Amino acid sequence: MTPADSSAQVAHRIAFLLAKHGDELARHIRRMVRDDDAAQDILQDTMIRAHHALSRLAAGSNERAWLYRIATNASLNHIRARTREREALRRHAAERETAVELHADARRERDEATRVALWAQVARLPARQRLALTLRIVDELDYEEIARRVGGSAATARANVYQATRKLRRGVHAL
Amino acid sequence: MTTEHAAAERRAVERIVLDAFGALTGRRSEPLRYAMMDDTPVGVLGLAAGEKGLRHVTFVKGEDDFIELLLAEHGHLPVLRSAVLDDVRRALDRYFAGRRLEFDLKVDLSDLPHFHRRVLDATVRIPAGEVATYAQVARRAGSPRASRAAGNALHNNPVAIVVPCHRVLRTDGSLGGYGGGLPIKKWLLEHEGARPRTL
Repeated sequence: MTPADSSAQVAHRIAFLLAKHGDELARHIRRMVRDDDAAQDILQDTMIRAHHALSRLAAGSNERAWLYRIATNASLNHIRARTREREALRRHAAERETAVELHADARRERDEATRVALWAQVARLPARQRLALTLRIVDELDYEEIARRVGGSAATARANVYQATRKLRRGVHAL
Repeated sequence: MTTEHAAAERRAVERIVLDAFGALTGRRSEPLRYAMMDDTPVGVLGLAAGEKGLRHVTFVKGEDDFIELLLAEHGHLPVLRSAVLDDVRRALDRYFAGRRLEFDLKVDLSDLPHFHRRVLDATVRIPAGEVATYAQVARRAGSPRASRAAGNALHNNPVAIVVPCHRVLRTDGSLGGYGGGLPIKKWLLEHEGARPRTL
């Protein structure tokens, strides 16, 4: 083979190699990469490389062994590249997942901070208001019952709960 | 691997090879599949078939020569080695073993000139063990005076043995010619039990 070879001669040489070895090489490549589209690319690539390499190959050398070696290397390169790509995709997915988790953590922390701040404000309420609020919200008692436990009228209990919620609402907005 | 798996793999593999043929060599039509029979009693045979039937049973020196012949004679066709020709190989094995001298194979002569095809069609009808003359074959092909042209058609028979051009002799009973060489023609006729005068 010389640079003067016409494209028809190159096509003829490749046709010869494909006719003689194409079937077994395609089978070999396909079994390695397990993907028809990839196998097609690799066979064509192998033929182009082989046609260059074999032009330098001494007469009598084992053409078939050469072709197998070229096809095997091309298939292994493909598998490695595919493994790297999968690895990269997996890393990318893992990074995304971590980002989502971090986001969730941040929200949980923010919620926690709000809750702590809220209870701090509850703690600062006047004792009667705090007690009335706790009984109303946590123990879910009605105003009559709150009045019986804390003393005073149901109306006073309602007023205490009202004052407490108003203060807390203002406090939460300020957070 | 089951038969279906093997068939599916063969189809997928062929598709890959045919795509490479199309992309790299411009050969895109229906493929010509070939196989070699390396040690028959008459030497090395190259077999090739297209979608429509058997197109070559050829005496060759070896695989490389046969591939070159196929690529040269069918400039637009992809050529590939294939296990699909096992039927043909088995039929020829049976023939050489003397178990069955007739062939039920589909032969595709559609590429040949019309007269050649008629001569070969007439030749297929000569039974094993019998012979005919060039003149007889020319007459059966519809051109009684064209025995020389008939000889030419027989000499260019692409499907040797299966289209039994070896059963056609000169009017005086001498062997005439044979693409594979006269010793092979003689061997085939003796193998079939034919008793032409000069054998």
